[in-house]
Amino acid sequence: MAILEVLNLRAGYGNGAVIDDICFSVERGQFITVLGPNGSGKSTLIKAVQGLLQDTSGKVHVEGHDLFRMSRRKVARMIAFVPQGYDLAFDYTVWEIVAMGRYVHQKRLSSFSAQDNRMMREVLDLLGVSHLRDKKIGQLSGGERQRVLIARALAQDTPLLFLDEPSAHLDLAYGLEIFRVVERLQREMKKTILCTEHNINLVIPYSQRLVFLKAGRIQAQGPPDALITRSWIKEVFGADVEIRENLHSGLPEISLIHRHPQKEEKGR
Amino acid sequence: MKLKNRGKLFFPLLLFLLATALYLSLVVGAVPTGRRDLCNFLFHGDHTFQTIFIDLRLSRALLAFLVGASLSLSGAILQGYFQNPMADPFVVGVSSGASFGAVLCLFLGIEASVLGLPLQNLFAFGSGLGIVSIVYLLSRRKFIFKVETLLLTGIASGALASALTSFLLFTRSDSFEQAVFWLLGSLALADWRQVSIILPYFLFSLLLAQWLAKDMNLLVMGDDVAQSLGCPVRRVRQAFLCLSTLLAAVSVSVSGIIGFAGLIVPHGVRILLGPDHKRLFFFSSLAGGIFLMFCDLLARTVLSPAELPIGIITAAVGAPFFIYLLHRRR
Repeated sequence: MAILEVLNLRAGYGNGAVIDDICFSVERGQFITVLGPNGSGKSTLIKAVQGLLQDTSGKVHVEGHDLFRMSRRKVARMIAFVPQGYDLAFDYTVWEIVAMGRYVHQKRLSSFSAQDNRMMREVLDLLGVSHLRDKKIGQLSGGERQRVLIARALAQDTPLLFLDEPSAHLDLAYGLEIFRVVERLQREMKKTILCTEHNINLVIPYSQRLVFLKAGRIQAQGPPDALITRSWIKEVFGADVEIRENLHSGLPEISLIHRHPQKEEKGR
Repeated sequence: MKLKNRGKLFFPLLLFLLATALYLSLVVGAVPTGRRDLCNFLFHGDHTFQTIFIDLRLSRALLAFLVGASLSLSGAILQGYFQNPMADPFVVGVSSGASFGAVLCLFLGIEASVLGLPLQNLFAFGSGLGIVSIVYLLSRRKFIFKVETLLLTGIASGALASALTSFLLFTRSDSFEQAVFWLLGSLALADWRQVSIILPYFLFSLLLAQWLAKDMNLLVMGDDVAQSLGCPVRRVRQAFLCLSTLLAAVSVSVSGIIGFAGLIVPHGVRILLGPDHKRLFFFSSLAGGIFLMFCDLLARTVLSPAELPIGIITAAVGAPFFIYLLHRRR
């Protein structure tokens, strides 16, 4: 049975739908990525699926339960969310940020149990940020901050993990590292991953399934082999590319076609 | 961990300051009294100065503490609520709104009470809530607060409410004293009745704020993230808005507008102890109460035997601080 089912989802911010007619489902343990150009509605989609937007219609089922009828607390025990970027209104420490992931498992006034503490230490270890636990979040680099936010999501101890453009604002190497980390979570902790991204090559090796989003509607979905084609990339991203085989992984990879005006003239 | 230890140091320091403020509040005043008089009264049953110590000075010191604690807690809540360390009940217009409500009630000559609550408090609460709701709606764009919009809307709405208050007061014969009281704040009218009005509201609000402190930690992450971490954002926001307004409105109805008192203290506590709201709410209340006791001491002594409105002292300290914060952001 699919762990997550989305049916005819339509959502916006109060002035018309940003995404419409969204249908897809995710199998337990799968890594699924929503790809699309900037402004295609990826962030709206990943928020709407969790019921974070006011103006939403359609159905979302998590493990067979209607998500829109669940309390926030119940949803937060099923889905953890790693947002895009982090606004620094107040400077919490890394430990305090990760502790927020445990709130949903605690009573209001209770302090941290031995299990809470163990879990928080584990996720900090897993993401290699234990040494930063007493640092203020504002003192960290973008890559470290992203890891801390993922650690918080893991502390929530949910079967589903959502990530909104985890590589945004990161250098190439850090972006790659984050995807390696997420893949490890899928493999070792049996997490089901839903992720949005605009960098196609970055996600191909990690995703079992892709969803192409354009102007708020799904254009195509399926395994990377079937979707990474010249015509689909042209259709969704409006870019002329060639598909090659990656020398190391043997997986498909897009390479941009640069037209040099001078060369074209010579050709004539 | 480090921050927790700092809290352990901070707490005795605050208790020491509280004792100092209390002692000074009891011995300093228009009637010259000293340590010996206080000792005689406390330990030797000398009742010469009983009225002065208990009914004038102790009630006033307690009222200063409670008003300061309420304004500070209200400021701490509003700063989290608007995700903005520059908010305070005066800056976002709640205090001025509440003052208008209280004066309107006075103007209409209503002195009744409903279910034991003086109508004046209800009026103050209602109009304070009205102002802050307007400011909230106007400064919210796509679920994000723009700092400039928030501050400007708050200050402008507050100015409008103060203008209306002044207009109402101008029509009365005792307009000058009343205007000074309502617009600049004063604890000169302190008595036990006022202490008994504000005390239950303050205790109730502090308990509820502590109860919801974890939710406030989530709320300052932004509404989307807070919800994804399991916080029922809409209900929590409503509760906090009502709490901060209640605290400001009750403070205003016993002491008039004391501007900027709720700005500095939560900010300072956050720098010392970090932004965790469980600690922040408690220590802001305690430190805010002490802060206002010292401000009131100044108000009583600077032009002694005349008294300054306490709002002048808090504005003299708070407004430059506010400007400093505004400039540091760029």
